[in-house]
Amino acid sequence: MTKETVEFASVTKRFGAIQALNDVTFAIAPGETVALLGLNGAGKTTALELLLGLRSPHSGSVRLCGGSPRSAHVRRMLGATPQSTGFPDALRAREIAAFVAANYPDPLAIDTVFRDFGLTEIADRRLGELSGGQQRRIAVALAFVGNPEVVVLDEPTTGLDVESRHRLWERLARKSGRSVLFTTHYIEEAQALASRVIVIDHGSVHFDGGSRELRERFGRKRVEYVGSDGPVVALPEDADRFVRNLVAAQTPFRDLTITAPSLEDAFLVMTGANR
Amino acid sequence: MKHLGVWTAYSRLILIELIRTPSYVIPSVMFPTMFYCIFALPYAKTAAIADLEMLSFVAFAVIGVTLFQFGVGVAMERGRPWERYLRTLPAHPLVRFAARVNAALVFGIVAGGLVAFVARIFTPVDLVATQWIVFAVYAALGGIPFILLGLAIGYWCNAKAAVPIANVVYLLLSFAGGLWVPVRYLPSFAAVVSPFLPTRQYGELLWSIVTPASAPSALLWLLGYSFVFLGLASLGYRRDERARYA
Repeated sequence: MTKETVEFASVTKRFGAIQALNDVTFAIAPGETVALLGLNGAGKTTALELLLGLRSPHSGSVRLCGGSPRSAHVRRMLGATPQSTGFPDALRAREIAAFVAANYPDPLAIDTVFRDFGLTEIADRRLGELSGGQQRRIAVALAFVGNPEVVVLDEPTTGLDVESRHRLWERLARKSGRSVLFTTHYIEEAQALASRVIVIDHGSVHFDGGSRELRERFGRKRVEYVGSDGPVVALPEDADRFVRNLVAAQTPFRDLTITAPSLEDAFLVMTGANR
Repeated sequence: MKHLGVWTAYSRLILIELIRTPSYVIPSVMFPTMFYCIFALPYAKTAAIADLEMLSFVAFAVIGVTLFQFGVGVAMERGRPWERYLRTLPAHPLVRFAARVNAALVFGIVAGGLVAFVARIFTPVDLVATQWIVFAVYAALGGIPFILLGLAIGYWCNAKAAVPIANVVYLLLSFAGGLWVPVRYLPSFAAVVSPFLPTRQYGELLWSIVTPASAPSALLWLLGYSFVFLGLASLGYRRDERARYA
Protein backbone atom coordinates (compact mmCIF):
# COMPACT_ATOMS: atom_id res chain seq x y z
CA MET A 1 0.00 0.00 0.00
CA THR A 2 1.40 3.37 -0.96
CA LYS A 3 0.86 6.38 1.22
CA GLU A 4 0.50 8.74 -1.72
CA THR A 5 -3.01 9.41 -2.94
CA VAL A 6 -1.88 10.38 -6.43
CA GLU A 7 1.12 8.89 -8.17
CA PHE A 8 2.41 9.54 -11.68
CA ALA A 9 5.42 7.31 -12.47
CA SER A 10 7.31 8.01 -15.73
CA VAL A 11 4.05 8.71 -17.53
CA THR A 12 4.17 9.14 -21.28
CA LYS A 13 1.19 9.89 -23.47
CA ARG A 14 1.11 10.45 -27.21
CA PHE A 15 -1.68 11.50 -29.54
CA GLY A 16 -0.51 10.41 -32.96
CA ALA A 17 2.72 12.29 -33.53
CA ILE A 18 2.12 14.69 -30.65
CA GLN A 19 3.90 13.92 -27.41
CA ALA A 20 1.43 15.25 -24.84
CA LEU A 21 3.28 14.00 -21.76
CA ASN A 22 6.88 12.91 -21.57
CA ASP A 23 8.21 10.99 -18.57
CA VAL A 24 6.06 12.79 -16.02
CA THR A 25 6.65 11.78 -12.41
CA PHE A 26 5.12 13.27 -9.29
CA ALA A 27 3.19 12.21 -6.23
CA ILE A 28 0.70 13.88 -3.93
CA ALA A 29 0.39 13.05 -0.24
CA PRO A 30 -2.87 12.95 1.72
CA GLY A 31 -3.98 16.43 2.73
CA GLU A 32 -1.74 18.19 0.23
CA THR A 33 -3.07 20.94 -2.02
CA VAL A 34 -1.19 21.12 -5.29
CA ALA A 35 -1.55 23.56 -8.16
CA LEU A 36 -0.85 22.33 -11.66
CA LEU A 37 0.33 25.17 -13.86
CA GLY A 38 1.15 25.31 -17.52
CA LEU A 39 0.37 27.27 -20.63
CA ASN A 40 -2.40 26.03 -22.92
CA GLY A 41 -1.24 22.90 -24.69
CA ALA A 42 1.44 22.21 -22.09
CA GLY A 43 -0.06 18.87 -21.08
CA LYS A 44 -2.15 19.87 -18.04
CA THR A 45 -5.40 18.63 -19.51
CA THR A 46 -3.85 15.32 -20.54
CA ALA A 47 -2.44 14.83 -17.06
CA LEU A 48 -5.88 15.43 -15.56
CA GLU A 49 -7.57 13.11 -18.06
CA LEU A 50 -5.19 10.34 -17.02
CA LEU A 51 -5.85 10.96 -13.34
CA LEU A 52 -9.62 11.00 -13.89
CA GLY A 53 -9.47 7.66 -15.69
CA LEU A 54 -10.62 9.17 -18.99
CA ARG A 55 -7.49 8.04 -20.79
CA SER A 56 -4.66 5.53 -20.36
CA PRO A 57 -0.94 6.31 -20.50
CA HIS A 58 1.23 4.80 -23.23
CA SER A 59 3.88 3.92 -20.69
CA GLY A 60 4.42 4.47 -17.02
CA SER A 61 1.62 4.30 -14.50
CA VAL A 62 -1.00 6.56 -12.98
CA ARG A 63 -2.24 5.48 -9.56
CA LEU A 64 -5.09 6.81 -7.53
CA CYS A 65 -4.93 5.64 -3.90
CA GLY A 66 -2.86 2.70 -5.12
CA GLY A 67 -5.28 1.60 -7.89
CA SER A 68 -5.94 2.41 -11.50
CA PRO A 69 -8.34 5.34 -12.02
CA ARG A 70 -9.67 3.40 -15.03
CA SER A 71 -11.58 1.09 -12.71
CA ALA A 72 -14.84 2.33 -11.31
CA HIS A 73 -14.34 1.21 -7.71
CA VAL A 74 -11.03 3.09 -7.47
CA ARG A 75 -12.79 6.27 -8.56
CA ARG A 76 -14.83 6.18 -5.35
CA MET A 77 -11.80 7.97 -3.90
CA LEU A 78 -12.07 10.66 -6.57
CA GLY A 79 -14.20 13.76 -6.94
CA ALA A 80 -13.92 16.02 -9.97
CA THR A 81 -15.47 19.20 -11.34
CA PRO A 82 -17.62 18.97 -14.44
CA GLN A 83 -17.19 21.71 -17.02
CA SER A 84 -20.11 23.88 -16.07
CA THR A 85 -20.71 24.84 -19.70
CA GLY A 86 -22.11 21.38 -20.33
CA PHE A 87 -24.53 21.03 -17.41
CA PRO A 88 -27.90 19.42 -18.17
CA ASP A 89 -30.02 22.57 -17.97
CA ALA A 90 -33.27 20.90 -16.99
CA LEU A 91 -32.00 19.59 -13.64
CA ARG A 92 -32.13 21.41 -10.32
CA ALA A 93 -28.95 21.98 -8.33
CA ARG A 94 -30.10 19.72 -5.52
CA GLU A 95 -31.10 16.94 -7.91
CA ILE A 96 -27.72 16.87 -9.53
CA ALA A 97 -25.94 16.87 -6.17
CA ALA A 98 -28.14 14.01 -4.92
CA PHE A 99 -27.35 12.10 -8.08
CA VAL A 100 -23.60 12.57 -7.66
CA ALA A 101 -23.83 11.62 -3.96
CA ALA A 102 -25.60 8.36 -4.89
CA ASN A 103 -22.47 7.26 -6.74
CA TYR A 104 -20.37 7.21 -3.57
CA PRO A 105 -20.43 4.90 -0.57
CA ASP A 106 -20.12 7.59 2.10
CA PRO A 107 -21.21 10.96 0.70
CA LEU A 108 -21.49 14.22 2.60
CA ALA A 109 -24.91 15.68 3.44
CA ILE A 110 -25.96 17.83 0.48
CA ASP A 111 -27.31 20.61 2.69
CA THR A 112 -23.95 20.89 4.43
CA VAL A 113 -22.02 21.05 1.17
CA PHE A 114 -24.43 23.61 -0.25
CA ARG A 115 -24.14 25.72 2.89
CA ASP A 116 -20.34 25.52 2.74
CA PHE A 117 -20.31 26.73 -0.83
CA GLY A 118 -23.05 29.33 -0.38
CA LEU A 119 -25.48 27.48 -2.64
CA THR A 120 -28.42 27.04 -0.25
CA GLU A 121 -30.52 29.75 -1.90
CA ILE A 122 -30.13 28.31 -5.38
CA ALA A 123 -30.50 24.65 -4.40
CA ASP A 124 -33.93 24.33 -5.98
CA ARG A 125 -33.28 26.32 -9.11
CA ARG A 126 -32.72 24.69 -12.48
CA LEU A 127 -29.15 24.78 -13.69
CA GLY A 128 -30.20 26.47 -16.93
CA GLU A 129 -31.53 29.45 -14.96
CA LEU A 130 -28.30 30.05 -13.05
CA SER A 131 -25.49 32.45 -13.91
CA GLY A 132 -22.14 31.16 -15.11
CA GLY A 133 -20.60 31.95 -11.73
CA GLN A 134 -23.31 30.07 -9.84
CA GLN A 135 -22.92 27.06 -12.11
CA ARG A 136 -19.18 27.16 -11.54
CA ARG A 137 -19.68 27.08 -7.78
CA ILE A 138 -22.00 24.09 -8.12
CA ALA A 139 -19.42 22.35 -10.28
CA VAL A 140 -16.79 22.83 -7.58
CA ALA A 141 -19.17 21.69 -4.84
CA LEU A 142 -19.93 18.49 -6.79
CA ALA A 143 -16.28 17.47 -6.49
CA PHE A 144 -16.70 17.36 -2.72
CA VAL A 145 -20.19 15.83 -2.42
CA GLY A 146 -18.90 12.24 -2.58
CA ASN A 147 -16.51 12.88 0.31
CA PRO A 148 -13.56 11.54 -1.73
CA GLU A 149 -9.90 11.30 -0.73
CA VAL A 150 -8.74 13.10 -3.84
CA VAL A 151 -10.40 16.17 -5.31
CA VAL A 152 -9.50 17.36 -8.80
CA LEU A 153 -10.57 20.88 -9.76
CA ASP A 154 -10.10 21.95 -13.34
CA GLU A 155 -9.88 25.74 -13.32
CA PRO A 156 -12.24 26.11 -10.36
CA THR A 157 -12.65 29.88 -10.55
CA THR A 158 -12.46 30.61 -14.26
CA GLY A 159 -15.22 33.04 -15.16
CA LEU A 160 -15.88 34.15 -11.59
CA ASP A 161 -15.70 37.80 -10.58
CA VAL A 162 -12.99 38.78 -8.12
CA GLU A 163 -15.25 38.72 -5.10
CA SER A 164 -16.70 35.26 -5.68
CA ARG A 165 -13.24 33.99 -6.54
CA HIS A 166 -11.94 35.11 -3.15
CA ARG A 167 -14.98 33.65 -1.40
CA LEU A 168 -14.40 30.32 -3.11
CA TRP A 169 -10.74 30.39 -2.12
CA GLU A 170 -11.76 30.86 1.50
CA ARG A 171 -13.91 27.76 1.29
CA LEU A 172 -11.29 25.71 -0.50
CA ALA A 173 -8.61 26.76 1.95
CA ARG A 174 -10.41 25.04 4.84
CA LYS A 175 -8.30 21.97 5.40
CA SER A 176 -10.15 18.71 5.18
CA GLY A 177 -7.48 16.02 5.05
CA ARG A 178 -8.17 15.56 1.35
CA SER A 179 -5.61 15.80 -1.39
CA VAL A 180 -6.55 18.54 -3.81
CA LEU A 181 -5.08 18.95 -7.27
CA PHE A 182 -6.20 21.94 -9.28
CA THR A 183 -5.31 23.68 -12.49
CA THR A 184 -5.61 27.39 -12.87
CA HIS A 185 -4.91 30.32 -15.12
CA TYR A 186 -4.58 32.61 -12.11
CA ILE A 187 -1.14 32.46 -10.61
CA GLU A 188 -2.37 34.24 -7.50
CA GLU A 189 -4.82 31.37 -7.05
CA ALA A 190 -1.93 28.92 -6.88
CA GLN A 191 -0.21 31.21 -4.42
CA ALA A 192 -3.30 31.55 -2.25
CA LEU A 193 -4.33 27.90 -2.11
CA ALA A 194 -1.49 25.55 -2.94
CA SER A 195 1.24 24.34 -0.65
CA ARG A 196 3.01 23.03 -3.72
CA VAL A 197 3.18 23.96 -7.37
CA ILE A 198 3.88 21.68 -10.30
CA VAL A 199 4.68 23.38 -13.57
CA ILE A 200 4.24 21.43 -16.78
CA ASP A 201 5.60 22.72 -20.03
CA HIS A 202 5.86 20.90 -23.35
CA GLY A 203 4.71 17.71 -21.67
CA SER A 204 7.40 17.61 -18.98
CA VAL A 205 7.52 18.65 -15.34
CA HIS A 206 9.67 21.78 -15.18
CA PHE A 207 9.24 22.55 -11.54
CA ASP A 208 7.84 20.78 -8.51
CA GLY A 209 8.08 22.52 -5.18
CA GLY A 210 6.72 25.18 -2.86
CA SER A 211 5.36 28.33 -4.41
CA ARG A 212 7.89 30.41 -2.47
CA GLU A 213 10.72 28.24 -3.77
CA LEU A 214 9.45 28.70 -7.31
CA ARG A 215 9.49 32.44 -6.81
CA GLU A 216 12.95 32.41 -5.33
CA ARG A 217 14.47 30.19 -7.96
CA PHE A 218 12.98 31.73 -11.01
CA GLY A 219 11.72 35.01 -9.67
CA ARG A 220 13.14 38.25 -10.91
CA LYS A 221 12.37 41.65 -9.62
CA ARG A 222 9.98 43.53 -11.84
CA VAL A 223 11.17 46.95 -12.91
CA GLU A 224 8.57 49.40 -14.13
CA TYR A 225 8.93 53.00 -15.21
CA VAL A 226 7.44 55.51 -17.58
CA GLY A 227 9.91 56.32 -20.31
CA SER A 228 9.69 58.77 -23.18
CA ASP A 229 7.69 56.23 -25.22
CA GLY A 230 5.28 55.36 -22.41
CA PRO A 231 5.25 52.70 -19.66
CA VAL A 232 7.96 50.03 -19.66
CA VAL A 233 7.93 46.72 -17.76
CA ALA A 234 11.07 44.61 -17.52
CA LEU A 235 12.09 41.38 -15.79
CA PRO A 236 15.87 41.75 -15.87
CA GLU A 237 18.18 39.11 -14.48
CA ASP A 238 19.81 41.71 -12.26
CA ALA A 239 17.48 44.56 -11.38
CA ASP A 240 20.20 46.64 -9.73
CA ARG A 241 22.44 46.56 -12.78
CA PHE A 242 19.44 47.28 -15.01
CA VAL A 243 18.70 50.48 -13.09
CA ARG A 244 22.40 51.50 -13.04
CA ASN A 245 22.52 51.05 -16.82
CA LEU A 246 19.35 53.07 -17.18
CA VAL A 247 20.91 55.95 -15.28
CA ALA A 248 24.30 55.62 -16.98
CA ALA A 249 22.66 55.75 -20.40
CA GLN A 250 20.80 58.88 -19.30
CA THR A 251 17.48 57.34 -20.36
CA PRO A 252 14.68 59.67 -19.35
CA PHE A 253 12.34 57.94 -16.89
CA ARG A 254 9.91 58.67 -14.07
CA ASP A 255 7.76 56.68 -11.62
CA LEU A 256 10.41 53.99 -11.23
CA THR A 257 9.20 51.02 -9.15
CA ILE A 258 10.94 47.76 -8.37
CA THR A 259 8.70 45.04 -7.00
CA ALA A 260 9.40 41.67 -5.38
CA PRO A 261 9.23 38.65 -7.67
CA SER A 262 5.71 37.36 -8.18
CA LEU A 263 4.85 33.79 -9.04
CA GLU A 264 3.43 34.96 -12.32
CA ASP A 265 6.71 36.54 -13.34
CA ALA A 266 8.62 33.47 -12.19
CA PHE A 267 6.33 31.38 -14.33
CA LEU A 268 6.86 33.55 -17.36
CA VAL A 269 10.63 33.44 -16.93
CA MET A 270 10.68 29.69 -16.46
CA THR A 271 8.54 28.80 -19.45
CA GLY A 272 10.33 31.27 -21.65
CA ALA A 273 7.09 33.06 -22.39
CA ASN A 274 8.77 36.26 -21.22
CA ARG A 275 9.61 38.17 -24.38
CA MET B 1 -27.86 -3.43 -3.26
CA LYS B 2 -25.25 -0.76 -3.89
CA HIS B 3 -25.62 -1.15 -7.65
CA LEU B 4 -29.38 -0.94 -7.26
CA GLY B 5 -29.11 2.45 -5.56
CA VAL B 6 -26.81 3.81 -8.26
CA TRP B 7 -29.07 2.38 -10.96
CA THR B 8 -32.07 4.10 -9.39
CA ALA B 9 -30.18 7.38 -9.25
CA TYR B 10 -29.18 7.16 -12.91
CA SER B 11 -32.70 6.12 -13.97
CA ARG B 12 -34.16 9.04 -12.10
CA LEU B 13 -31.70 11.48 -13.62
CA ILE B 14 -32.44 10.32 -17.17
CA LEU B 15 -36.20 10.34 -16.61
CA ILE B 16 -36.25 13.79 -15.00
CA GLU B 17 -34.19 15.19 -17.83
CA LEU B 18 -36.36 13.62 -20.51
CA ILE B 19 -39.64 14.59 -18.87
CA ARG B 20 -38.50 18.21 -18.72
CA THR B 21 -37.56 18.19 -22.41
CA PRO B 22 -40.82 18.83 -24.32
CA SER B 23 -39.07 18.35 -27.66
CA TYR B 24 -38.49 14.76 -26.61
CA VAL B 25 -41.71 14.00 -24.74
CA ILE B 26 -44.16 15.27 -27.35
CA PRO B 27 -42.81 13.43 -30.40
CA SER B 28 -42.08 10.17 -28.65
CA VAL B 29 -45.17 9.98 -26.44
CA MET B 30 -47.82 11.88 -28.38
CA PHE B 31 -47.02 11.25 -32.05
CA PRO B 32 -47.81 7.51 -32.15
CA THR B 33 -51.23 8.12 -30.61
CA MET B 34 -51.78 11.09 -32.90
CA PHE B 35 -50.88 9.01 -35.97
CA TYR B 36 -53.07 6.24 -34.67
CA CYS B 37 -56.03 8.61 -34.32
CA ILE B 38 -55.53 10.00 -37.84
CA PHE B 39 -54.66 6.89 -39.84
CA ALA B 40 -56.16 3.98 -37.93
CA LEU B 41 -58.99 4.97 -35.65
CA PRO B 42 -61.46 5.87 -38.45
CA TYR B 43 -61.14 2.35 -39.94
CA ALA B 44 -61.40 0.39 -36.70
CA LYS B 45 -64.97 -0.74 -37.31
CA THR B 46 -64.55 -4.44 -36.54
CA ALA B 47 -62.72 -6.18 -33.71
CA ALA B 48 -60.33 -7.91 -36.15
CA ILE B 49 -59.19 -4.63 -37.72
CA ALA B 50 -59.14 -2.75 -34.41
CA ASP B 51 -56.88 -5.41 -32.85
CA LEU B 52 -54.38 -5.35 -35.70
CA GLU B 53 -54.26 -1.55 -35.80
CA MET B 54 -53.67 -1.28 -32.08
CA LEU B 55 -50.92 -3.92 -32.13
CA SER B 56 -49.19 -2.20 -35.06
CA PHE B 57 -49.28 1.29 -33.58
CA VAL B 58 -48.00 0.07 -30.21
CA ALA B 59 -45.02 -1.38 -32.09
CA PHE B 60 -44.65 1.98 -33.84
CA ALA B 61 -44.64 3.74 -30.45
CA VAL B 62 -42.03 1.41 -28.93
CA ILE B 63 -39.75 1.75 -31.97
CA GLY B 64 -39.95 5.56 -31.70
CA VAL B 65 -38.99 5.55 -28.02
CA THR B 66 -36.03 3.21 -28.55
CA LEU B 67 -34.66 4.92 -31.67
CA PHE B 68 -34.88 8.38 -30.15
CA GLN B 69 -33.61 7.51 -26.72
CA PHE B 70 -30.74 5.33 -27.82
CA GLY B 71 -30.05 6.81 -31.25
CA VAL B 72 -30.51 10.53 -30.82
CA GLY B 73 -29.83 10.39 -27.06
CA VAL B 74 -26.48 8.65 -27.32
CA ALA B 75 -25.36 10.69 -30.34
CA MET B 76 -26.10 13.95 -28.54
CA GLU B 77 -24.62 12.96 -25.22
CA ARG B 78 -21.41 11.29 -26.18
CA GLY B 79 -19.78 14.52 -27.35
CA ARG B 80 -20.84 16.58 -24.35
CA PRO B 81 -18.50 17.68 -21.55
CA TRP B 82 -21.15 16.41 -19.15
CA GLU B 83 -20.61 12.89 -20.49
CA ARG B 84 -16.91 13.16 -19.68
CA TYR B 85 -17.81 14.18 -16.16
CA LEU B 86 -20.16 11.22 -15.72
CA ARG B 87 -17.30 8.95 -16.69
CA THR B 88 -15.21 10.24 -13.80
CA LEU B 89 -17.90 9.07 -11.35
CA PRO B 90 -17.43 5.63 -9.78
CA ALA B 91 -20.37 3.89 -11.51
CA HIS B 92 -19.79 1.05 -13.96
CA PRO B 93 -20.85 1.96 -17.53
CA LEU B 94 -23.28 -0.98 -17.53
CA VAL B 95 -25.20 0.57 -14.65
CA ARG B 96 -25.82 3.62 -16.81
CA PHE B 97 -26.85 1.50 -19.76
CA ALA B 98 -29.28 -0.42 -17.56
CA ALA B 99 -30.71 2.88 -16.36
CA ARG B 100 -31.25 3.99 -19.93
CA VAL B 101 -33.05 0.74 -20.72
CA ASN B 102 -35.19 1.36 -17.68
CA ALA B 103 -36.05 4.88 -18.85
CA ALA B 104 -36.91 3.52 -22.31
CA LEU B 105 -39.17 0.95 -20.67
CA VAL B 106 -41.02 3.68 -18.78
CA PHE B 107 -41.46 5.82 -21.90
CA GLY B 108 -42.32 2.77 -24.01
CA ILE B 109 -45.06 1.81 -21.56
CA VAL B 110 -46.44 5.35 -21.55
CA ALA B 111 -46.26 5.82 -25.35
CA GLY B 112 -47.54 2.33 -26.20
CA GLY B 113 -49.98 2.34 -23.30
CA LEU B 114 -51.55 5.54 -24.58
CA VAL B 115 -52.22 3.95 -27.97
CA ALA B 116 -53.71 0.87 -26.30
CA PHE B 117 -55.77 3.04 -23.97
CA VAL B 118 -57.27 5.08 -26.81
CA ALA B 119 -57.94 1.87 -28.76
CA ARG B 120 -59.60 0.24 -25.75
CA ILE B 121 -61.91 3.21 -25.25
CA PHE B 122 -62.86 4.10 -28.83
CA THR B 123 -62.60 0.87 -30.83
CA PRO B 124 -64.01 -2.65 -30.52
CA VAL B 125 -60.66 -4.32 -29.60
CA ASP B 126 -61.42 -7.68 -28.03
CA LEU B 127 -58.20 -9.04 -26.51
CA VAL B 128 -58.74 -11.23 -23.45
CA ALA B 129 -56.62 -10.93 -20.31
CA THR B 130 -54.02 -13.53 -21.35
CA GLN B 131 -53.68 -11.88 -24.76
CA TRP B 132 -53.01 -8.52 -23.13
CA ILE B 133 -50.23 -10.10 -21.07
CA VAL B 134 -48.64 -11.79 -24.10
CA PHE B 135 -49.01 -8.47 -25.91
CA ALA B 136 -47.02 -6.64 -23.20
CA VAL B 137 -44.28 -9.29 -23.18
CA TYR B 138 -43.96 -9.36 -26.98
CA ALA B 139 -44.01 -5.56 -27.18
CA ALA B 140 -41.07 -5.39 -24.76
CA LEU B 141 -39.10 -8.27 -26.36
CA GLY B 142 -39.57 -6.85 -29.84
CA GLY B 143 -38.15 -3.54 -28.65
CA ILE B 144 -34.71 -5.08 -27.99
CA PRO B 145 -33.40 -5.08 -31.60
CA PHE B 146 -34.51 -1.46 -31.91
CA ILE B 147 -32.59 -0.49 -28.79
CA LEU B 148 -29.52 -1.98 -30.50
CA LEU B 149 -30.35 -0.28 -33.81
CA GLY B 150 -30.68 2.98 -31.87
CA LEU B 151 -27.26 2.44 -30.28
CA ALA B 152 -25.74 1.73 -33.69
CA ILE B 153 -27.16 5.04 -34.99
CA GLY B 154 -26.06 6.80 -31.80
CA TYR B 155 -22.47 5.63 -32.06
CA TRP B 156 -22.06 6.00 -35.82
CA CYS B 157 -23.77 9.37 -36.31
CA ASN B 158 -22.91 12.70 -34.79
CA ALA B 159 -25.57 14.70 -32.99
CA LYS B 160 -26.62 16.63 -36.08
CA ALA B 161 -26.91 13.62 -38.36
CA ALA B 162 -28.61 11.38 -35.81
CA VAL B 163 -31.89 13.32 -35.69
CA PRO B 164 -32.76 13.13 -39.41
CA ILE B 165 -31.33 9.62 -39.78
CA ALA B 166 -33.30 8.28 -36.82
CA ASN B 167 -36.42 9.94 -38.19
CA VAL B 168 -36.01 8.59 -41.71
CA VAL B 169 -35.20 5.09 -40.46
CA TYR B 170 -38.14 5.26 -38.07
CA LEU B 171 -40.75 6.43 -40.56
CA LEU B 172 -39.59 4.43 -43.59
CA LEU B 173 -39.18 1.18 -41.69
CA SER B 174 -42.50 1.62 -39.93
CA PHE B 175 -44.31 2.28 -43.19
CA ALA B 176 -42.64 -0.49 -45.19
CA GLY B 177 -42.95 -2.87 -42.26
CA GLY B 178 -46.71 -2.58 -42.52
CA LEU B 179 -47.23 -0.84 -39.19
CA TRP B 180 -49.25 2.05 -40.67
CA VAL B 181 -51.19 0.37 -43.41
CA PRO B 182 -52.01 -3.32 -43.76
CA VAL B 183 -49.31 -5.22 -45.64
CA ARG B 184 -51.59 -5.97 -48.60
CA TYR B 185 -52.04 -2.24 -49.30
CA LEU B 186 -48.30 -1.52 -49.44
CA PRO B 187 -46.93 -0.22 -52.78
CA SER B 188 -45.25 -3.01 -54.74
CA PHE B 189 -41.61 -2.10 -53.91
CA ALA B 190 -42.33 -1.81 -50.20
CA ALA B 191 -44.24 -5.10 -50.36
CA VAL B 192 -41.14 -6.85 -51.77
CA VAL B 193 -38.73 -5.72 -49.02
CA SER B 194 -41.30 -5.71 -46.24
CA PRO B 195 -40.93 -9.36 -45.07
CA PHE B 196 -37.21 -8.80 -44.49
CA LEU B 197 -37.54 -5.71 -42.29
CA PRO B 198 -37.22 -5.81 -38.51
CA THR B 199 -40.31 -3.62 -38.21
CA ARG B 200 -42.34 -6.15 -40.20
CA GLN B 201 -41.12 -8.99 -37.99
CA TYR B 202 -41.97 -6.96 -34.90
CA GLY B 203 -45.44 -6.50 -36.39
CA GLU B 204 -45.73 -10.24 -37.20
CA LEU B 205 -44.79 -11.05 -33.60
CA LEU B 206 -47.58 -8.87 -32.23
CA TRP B 207 -50.11 -9.84 -34.91
CA SER B 208 -49.55 -13.51 -34.01
CA ILE B 209 -51.64 -12.82 -30.90
CA VAL B 210 -54.78 -12.49 -33.06
CA THR B 211 -53.81 -14.04 -36.43
CA PRO B 212 -52.15 -17.26 -37.61
CA ALA B 213 -48.79 -15.41 -37.99
CA SER B 214 -45.91 -17.38 -36.50
CA ALA B 215 -44.46 -15.93 -33.31
CA PRO B 216 -41.41 -18.26 -33.18
CA SER B 217 -40.42 -17.32 -36.74
CA ALA B 218 -40.76 -13.60 -35.96
CA LEU B 219 -38.77 -14.01 -32.76
CA LEU B 220 -35.97 -15.76 -34.69
CA TRP B 221 -35.85 -12.93 -37.21
CA LEU B 222 -35.72 -10.37 -34.42
CA LEU B 223 -32.96 -12.33 -32.70
CA GLY B 224 -30.96 -12.30 -35.93
CA TYR B 225 -31.48 -8.57 -36.30
CA SER B 226 -30.42 -8.11 -32.69
CA PHE B 227 -27.08 -9.74 -33.44
CA VAL B 228 -26.54 -7.61 -36.53
CA PHE B 229 -27.38 -4.37 -34.73
CA LEU B 230 -25.37 -5.42 -31.68
CA GLY B 231 -22.36 -5.94 -33.95
CA LEU B 232 -22.82 -2.53 -35.58
CA ALA B 233 -23.34 -0.85 -32.22
CA SER B 234 -20.26 -2.40 -30.63
CA LEU B 235 -18.08 -1.47 -33.59
CA GLY B 236 -19.31 2.12 -33.27
CA TYR B 237 -18.87 2.05 -29.52
CA ARG B 238 -15.27 0.86 -29.81
CA ARG B 239 -14.53 3.46 -32.43
CA ASP B 240 -15.84 6.17 -30.10
CA GLU B 241 -13.90 4.78 -27.12
CA ARG B 242 -10.68 4.75 -29.12
CA ALA B 243 -11.17 8.32 -30.29
CA ARG B 244 -12.21 9.85 -26.99
CA TYR B 245 -11.05 7.69 -24.15
CA ALA B 246 -7.92 5.77 -25.26
